[in-house]
Amino acid sequence: MKQFLLGLCLFMTVGLSQAEAQKYFTREGKISFYSDTPVEKIEAHNQKATCVLDVASGKMEFAVLVKAFQFEKALMQEHFNENYMESGTYPKSIFKGQIANAADVDLSKDGTYDVTVEGELTIHGIAKTVSTPGQITVAGDKISATAKFETQPEDHGIKIPSVVRKNIAKIVEIDVNVALEPFKK
Amino acid sequence: MKKYLKYIIGLLIIGIGSGAYMYYKPHQNIKASKAEVSLSAAEVFQAFESDETAANEEYLDKIMAVSGTVRDVSKNEEGIVSVTLDAGQDMFGVICQLDQLTQHAREDFPIGEKVNFKGVCTGMLMDVVLVRCVETN
Repeated sequence: MKQFLLGLCLFMTVGLSQAEAQKYFTREGKISFYSDTPVEKIEAHNQKATCVLDVASGKMEFAVLVKAFQFEKALMQEHFNENYMESGTYPKSIFKGQIANAADVDLSKDGTYDVTVEGELTIHGIAKTVSTPGQITVAGDKISATAKFETQPEDHGIKIPSVVRKNIAKIVEIDVNVALEPFKK
Repeated sequence: MKKYLKYIIGLLIIGIGSGAYMYYKPHQNIKASKAEVSLSAAEVFQAFESDETAANEEYLDKIMAVSGTVRDVSKNEEGIVSVTLDAGQDMFGVICQLDQLTQHAREDFPIGEKVNFKGVCTGMLMDVVLVRCVETN
């Protein structure tokens, strides 16, 4: 009996570690956004995004804390948090989706693969379905991924007063850059 | 009319001046600011894990002083240092991202050392994240 249990435990541990080896993760992802108009250039950076990628299924998810975005100007950061993103009420922005062509990515071979990412982008509490091109680079047991999203503030229920509407781009570009490592406990 | 002109010009200058001042308002100086709450890393993590909504309401955007032992230190390619404090959990902790606008006395923290930081609490993802942190004694 003891031996059977031991065997079972061993079997489960092996099984688990194999399942985990498929998952990649980081808590130091970089997300930036850019709004470029003739009136004003606005950009903000966040280096504390989390990202989890399950290579087998191609499912991926990343999340970011809105208040951790750093702006060059304090006033912009204040307006961003208080008037537009209402980050006290909606502290996180989340993307949940998958790599549409996950089968094209060969983890055993170093190289750069073009991918398409599809899923739901939730900003300001409002989810929107998006599809965007990205790249996955495999180097040994590390994977880095980049993607560019384009989104409109109005799509996420963000109201911008008409007086300052021309200061903020109609389409805001979001850059995602993550270096992932195998997930292990 | 001439009499009023100088007042109008005066007001205009004040208006433009205060507008520019607002626009170029500097970021809050964390080093010189007093912490609004003071907790241990384990207490902060516990607060967010047991009731995230309540913790968000209580701590978001506040300058928080947090103490704990160093579990991990990392530096990204832009040279931004993050220190993870142990919160008594196996996987997650409290991450303190050092402030880019402050000169730090040191950016190297031996694992296991007891340290104190203050910074702005931004909420919880997997870990609780504080940004703009400075070390305090």
